[in-house]
Formats: sequence, structure tokens, C-alpha cells
Amino acid sequence: MLLRTVLRNERRLLAADPALRIALVVFAALFVYALANGMVWDRFQARTVEAARSGNAERVRGLAQELTDIANGAQPSSPFRDPRAPIVLGGARGAHTAVLEPGPLAALAVGQSDLLPYYYDVSIYTNESSFQQNGEVENPLNLMVGRFDLAFVTVYLLPLLVLALSFNVLSEEREQGTLALTLSQPVSARGVVGAKLAFRALLVVGLAAGVSLLGILATGGFTEAGRVLLWCAAVSLYALFWFALAAWVNSLRRSSAWNATVLVGAWLVLVVVLPAAINIAAGLLHPLPSRVEMITAQREASNDAVNRRSELLARYLEDHPEMASGVVPDEPGMAALTWAATDAVNGRLEEVTAVHDARRAEQLALIRRYRFLTPALLAQGVLVDAAGTGDARFAHFQSQVRDFAERWRQFFVPAILADERMTAAVLPGVPSFRFVDEQPADVARRAAVPLLVLGGLVVLVSVGAGVALGRVRGAA
Amino acid sequence: MIKHIARKEFTDVVRDGRFRWCAALVGALLLVSLGHGWVQARQAQGELAAAQATAREHWESQGEKNPHSAAHYGIYAFKPRLALSFVDAGVDPYTGTSVWLEAHRQNDFLMRPAQDATAAQRIGALTAAHVLQHLVPLLIILLTFGALAGEREQGTLRQLLATGVGRSDLALGKALGIAGALALLLVPAAVVGAAALVVGSPGPAASPLARAAVLAGVYLVYFAAFVGLSLAVSAQAGSARTALVALLAVWVVNGLVAPRAAVDLSRWIHPTPSAVEFARTLEREMATGVEGIERPDQAATAARLMAQHGVERVEDLPLNDVGVYLQESEEFGNRIFDRNYGALWDTFERQGLVHEALAVAAPLLAVRTLSMGLAGTDVEQHRHFATAAEAYRRDLMRQMNGDLTENSRSGDFSYTAGPDLWAQVPPLRYDAPTLGWVLNNRLLSLLVLGLWLAAAVLAAAAGARRAEVA
Repeated sequence: MLLRTVLRNERRLLAADPALRIALVVFAALFVYALANGMVWDRFQARTVEAARSGNAERVRGLAQELTDIANGAQPSSPFRDPRAPIVLGGARGAHTAVLEPGPLAALAVGQSDLLPYYYDVSIYTNESSFQQNGEVENPLNLMVGRFDLAFVTVYLLPLLVLALSFNVLSEEREQGTLALTLSQPVSARGVVGAKLAFRALLVVGLAAGVSLLGILATGGFTEAGRVLLWCAAVSLYALFWFALAAWVNSLRRSSAWNATVLVGAWLVLVVVLPAAINIAAGLLHPLPSRVEMITAQREASNDAVNRRSELLARYLEDHPEMASGVVPDEPGMAALTWAATDAVNGRLEEVTAVHDARRAEQLALIRRYRFLTPALLAQGVLVDAAGTGDARFAHFQSQVRDFAERWRQFFVPAILADERMTAAVLPGVPSFRFVDEQPADVARRAAVPLLVLGGLVVLVSVGAGVALGRVRGAA
Repeated sequence: MIKHIARKEFTDVVRDGRFRWCAALVGALLLVSLGHGWVQARQAQGELAAAQATAREHWESQGEKNPHSAAHYGIYAFKPRLALSFVDAGVDPYTGTSVWLEAHRQNDFLMRPAQDATAAQRIGALTAAHVLQHLVPLLIILLTFGALAGEREQGTLRQLLATGVGRSDLALGKALGIAGALALLLVPAAVVGAAALVVGSPGPAASPLARAAVLAGVYLVYFAAFVGLSLAVSAQAGSARTALVALLAVWVVNGLVAPRAAVDLSRWIHPTPSAVEFARTLEREMATGVEGIERPDQAATAARLMAQHGVERVEDLPLNDVGVYLQESEEFGNRIFDRNYGALWDTFERQGLVHEALAVAAPLLAVRTLSMGLAGTDVEQHRHFATAAEAYRRDLMRQMNGDLTENSRSGDFSYTAGPDLWAQVPPLRYDAPTLGWVLNNRLLSLLVLGLWLAAAVLAAAAGARRAEVA
């Protein structure tokens, strides 16, 4: 009954406070701007994916036409571009673009999607260095600064709204002399602060989650309820963490000014300074291996391979009897020799990359541990992961492209070795790529620990605040 | 009198425990980021130089082959780290580090270091430039917000003014005191930075010391603007607390909101094509040519050459027509590349201008642009290197095609050249742009930063003049 009175009173007070109204309006505007940016980017990606898809279809149509024409007596434009040769059809001319559709919540967090490639042209020449390609055409300056998306507003700016709304929930009552009066009623300080913060939390979480859901609705992301839930959980827990922190600081019974200073200080340290300091530590303690030496290794491998093509082909045929049904080993074609050299380069590249990737994975695992040092990094990690624009989904995509490239080779290499001629009839059987999205359970499993830690922090700080508030008496 | 006020303010600040803690934190971050940047830049430069040397070795030791095969083999170019990149890494983690220079094609720079890092590492990169751009202004705010508002709250402002000190002298004195305290932090960092530059400059740069001096000047102007702005707010605000809140809001907009808002705004105003679109346009134009840029035709080239030399058969030409044709198609390709890449780079630069123009709302954007420019790590200097590498590629192709044309005859496909020809190709030498070039490119930012300083000084003076005594 009384708590309801407190809530009603709060609503009136907030409605009457112009500064808070302005703050809420400003934040609503920031949220909407962020969402609009995300949606524009989402649509851009969707268009690109569509263009890549229609490009695939167009290429196949063109090749089919050319193959039919040649079968009917036309001449290929050049022997190096003759689609009847499997090394041409399976090579750059017939390449299939494997695309990663933007995740269902991609409009909420740009994440790594502006930096990491979301499409690869797959051909028989696809190897580890193919994965070194750049992502979307993007101004490096924009990549450096990062986008103004909902994840950014949530991680950096939302805490400031929370703090502005709650830094003085208790101290103000005392400074205005109303605390003693309030507490003379059958209500505890804990109850009053709890009710006031609950009301504000409802407002803030409602705003953040509301705009997010609006965005999800507009981009049709509700198909993945699990991701939506994870997103909302991360936003809510992160906001609640800052409310809990404000409650705890208020429970220390200091002045409003002191509360504001301490809370802003906490925001600075947790959101701005610690992530930066962590990166310095990561750079110092776990430097990522350089890619430069990979180029040299690749070059040396291919120099070596070109000089020993016949020998390499013999060895290849020994190693891959499954690829060699029907080859006449006595007079291997030029294409077969080329393929043997290509395969040797790929093999060497895989070795170099494997060493590099193992070292990189090791360092990244260590770096990922540091995110537990600040709720900002925890929340950011879960947000981009839930949105499907984090590192994990891109790694998932890349591994599927690797498998697809292998299927592609399985299709074309035997024909190259046997020096077969391709016709339009083989085109429908050529492998095509379809991205299989991550299992919701996998995403949830990755997010579980960070969310639990975040939840644990909320509980811990709230309990601390609750205990300290239990000691607050009206006279204090 | 100014001296007394400055000394008093300085002593106050330096004795303040909060200042000591914050300054120690910022100073530590500054020194660590400088040191880390320096070690990393040197290491990276070492690797790049070694890789460049190896690439040259590969080129020279490719054995006997047809010059056009050698052109296809090509050479890798590695973008060197410039001397001051350890202060401000700029866009370097987001531009590729190497490019393959081969026949027929202008390739993209590959291997962006940021692609190897995690998403979390993108949200809080820390270089000395970040500390200077974000954390030092915060320190200034913490030092300054109470300078006048605090005196007023404590009632000492009335006393102070009663001694007959001029109001602008008072403001100037306060500013100098705060500057003195900041100098305790910044001078050692500047000395360390300069020493690092002198002891072991990580890479080539035209006049690194001059660039460093201007860089220091730019940051000083930025800090001075912040001191002035903070003093103005402190003079006008009703209470020290209001001053702090207002200044923190300025800081958040300046450091967090404006930079990111500029990114999306610049993309809305000057959209870039998608990579698929860009590649397709390039492919289409290379295949068919565009109006005014005709694709050369091998038969037409041969016919023209035969007419010029008055012979009936290509075999009778005193040169190899394929070499001439290859060079013509190189030149055709170059014009297509210039068209497409040029347009893309120009869009990037126009996007950069949006960032620069928004500096009227957030001085950080101006100082960041200048800082990256002086450190040699901005988009324009990436373009400068990319252009140099591409020019080198074109020279290389010209030499290969020239040798093919002059030293072999039409129809002779067995012609090979050897190490002598490879060695004749000069190694890639890159001269970083001069200080004047950089500053000339960055006039808008210089102007806006200057305006900020002037505005801040005027605001501080006006604030002090109008400040209420109690």
C-alpha cells in the first residue's frame, strides 16, 4: 500500500522534473538514432547479400549459355577461359560466392560486421590466404571509431542515464529533510529506495528494451527468440548493475554531490579506463602473432611448388587416390600439374596458418578472460554475440566456408586430374553454399557465464546495498 | 599578482589527493601506452623491413623467365610504420599492411591487424593519443570545475576580488596554475616521447622532430582550449557541482557521442559502394572499357605497328607486338583503376571532411585528425603510400613490357630474361609526405582548433568578467 504511494509519488516527481524529462527525451532520441543507423546498415548488408546471390545465379546462367554455345560449335574466347576445362569452371570464372546473411538482430549491434568479411568467392583456388581478404569496403577511419549503434548506446551511455536518475534517491530525501518524515511511516529505507529504483529501472529498462524490440520487430528478428531473450537479459542486467551500484552508494549516507562524484568515477573506470587498460595489458602480455611472415611463407611455398610440379603431382596422386579415378599418370595434363602445385602451396599455407591460428587462439582465450574485470566488456560481449555480429558467428561462417571449399574441390579436382571436359549438364550438380546458423543453445552456452557473472554482480551489490540500507534510520 | 594566484592554484592542486591519484593514473597510462606503442612500432617496422627485403630477394632470384611471367609473379610491398606512429596508431590497425603488385591488376591492401583481434579490443584501444585526447581533458575538468565556482561557494571570491586583482588576471592566474600542475604530468611524457624518437625512430618519416613539435603544439592548444572552456563554465555555473555536471556532459559529447555520430553521418552523406558492387563495376569496366577509355585490341595494335614499320607480317616487326599490346592494356587498366579507386578514396576523404567539420561541435575531432595526420597514420597518408606502391607497380610493368617489346620478336614465346633485368628494377623506396603537405591537407582542422582556442579564451575572460561574486 505504502510502496504504491511511494511509486505514485515518484511518478509525479519525475513528471514534474524538467531536467529528467529532458534526459529521458535525449536518451530516447539517442536510442532512435542508434537504431536507425543499425537498420540502415542491416539493409545495406541485406542488399549486398542479395547482389552476391543474384551474381551466383547470373554467373551460372552465363556459363550454361557459353557451354551450350560451345557444344553447338562456337569457339571459346580463349583457351584459358574455356569453361569446358574443369580448372576454369571450378576456378575464378565459375566461383561461387558464399554469403553470411546478417543475423536476425544485426540492426541492434554492428559489432564486427563492418570489419570481418561476410562473403567469400569460393573456387578451387580458395585456401587459407583467401580468408585474409578484407571485409566490406569501408573507410578505415570509420572502422577505427566504430558505429553509433544500440550496443554502443547501451554500454557507454545508458549507465549515465541510470546514474542521473538514481544518484540521489536517498541522499536527496535527507538533504531536503523529508527522510525522517518518510521513515516515520511504517516503511523501511530499504523499501523506499527499492521502490524508487524499481520505478526508475522499469523506466530505463523499458526504454532500452522497448527500442530494441521495436528494432527487432522492424527487421523481423523475432524468428530467433533465444537471441532476443539474451539481448534483453544483457541489457536489463547491465542496467540493473548500475542501479544496484547507485543504491549501494546511496546506502553509504553521504551527500548527493559525493554520490554523483563516486558514481561518475565508477562509470569512468569501468567503462572508459578499464577496457583501455585491459587492451594495453593484452597487447603487452599476449601479443598477437604477425601476419607479415605468412606472406613470405606463402611466397616461398609457391616458388618451391612451381619448380617441382611433376614430382608434386606424383605425390598428390599417391596421397589422394580418391581424387585420381581415371587419371592417366603417364601424361598428366597442364591443368593436373597446376593443380598439384596449387595443392602443395595450400598445404604449406595450412601449416603456416595452423601455427599462427593456434597461437592467436591461445592469446585470444587469455584476452577474453579479462572481460570479467568490468561489466561493460561483459555486457558488450553478450550484446554483439546475441546480435550475431560477434567474432563467434563469423568464425562459424568461416569454418563452413572451409568445408564448402573442400566440397568444391571434391567436385572439380577429380575432373581436373582426369582431364575431363565439362558440359552444361554438370552445372546443376555443382555444390552451392547455404549457411547453417548457430544453434541457439550454442549462443546461450557462450553467453551463460558472462550473464551469470553479471547477474551475480547485481545480486551481490544489491545485497550489500540492502544490508547497508537496513541500518539507515530517519535521523541519520 | 597573476604569479601569486597561479602559484596558489598550483600548490592547491598539487596538494590535492584526488589530483595526485588521477594524475598518477593518467601519467602511468600515458607512459605505458607510449612505451608499448614504441616497442610495438619498432617490432612491426623490423618485421616489415625484413619482409620487404625478402620480397626483393624473391624478385631478384626468380630465375630465367619471360618478363611477362615475372610481371605476373610481381612483388609484395609492405607499408612502413612511420616514426610517430607509436604516439598515435591512427587507422593503421584498420588498413592492410601489404599489397601484392602484379600484372594487370591493382590489388587491395590485405592483412588488417584489427581483423585478428577481438570485438572487445575494438572498444577500448589505448594509445598515447587516446590518453591525450580523452583522459587529459577529463583531468583538466576535474582540476578546473571548482576553480571559480568553488571560490564563490566558499566565499573567498569576494575577498580575492577585494584585494583589487583584475578579474581577467584572476582567470589567467588560475589557468596558469592549472597549466603548471598539468605540466608536471605532460613535460615528462613529452621528454620520454622525444627521447624515444631520438633514440630509435621506428620508421621513416620526413622530419619526424618537426612533426613531433607541431604535434605537441596541437595538443597544447587542445588542452588550453579545455582549460579555458572549463574556467568559463566554472565562472558561470551556479555551483561547483553544476559546473562539474555541465563539463562532464561536454566531455561525453566530445569524446564519445560526437566521434561515433560523425561515422554514421558521414556514411549517410557520402555512401560507399559495397565490396561486391565495387568489384563488379571494376570487372565490367575492365572487360568492356567505358566511354573515353577504350579497351585496346591486340589485332588493331599489331596492324598499327605493321603500318608504322611498313611490314606485312608481325614476324617482320623489329619488336614484339605483344609487349606493346600488354603495355597498352596496362595503361587502359590503370585509367580504369584510377577512376574507381580514385572515386573511392575521394569518398573516404569527403567522409573525413564530415568528421573534420563536426569538430565545431567537438574539438576532439579536430585534434584527432591533426594528431593522426602528424603521426602519419591517417587515411590520406595511407592513400599516399598506396599511390606510391601503385606507381611503383606501373613502372615495374612498363619495364617488363618494354624489355619484352625491345628484346624479343613477335611470335617468340620462348624468350626469357634473367637476373640482370630483375636487378635493373629499382627497389621500392617510399618518401613519407612532408610536414607542409600534412598541414596543407588539414587546414580545416587547424582552423577549427584555433577557433576553439579563441572561443575558449574569450569565454573564460567574459565568464570571469561577468561572474557573480556570491
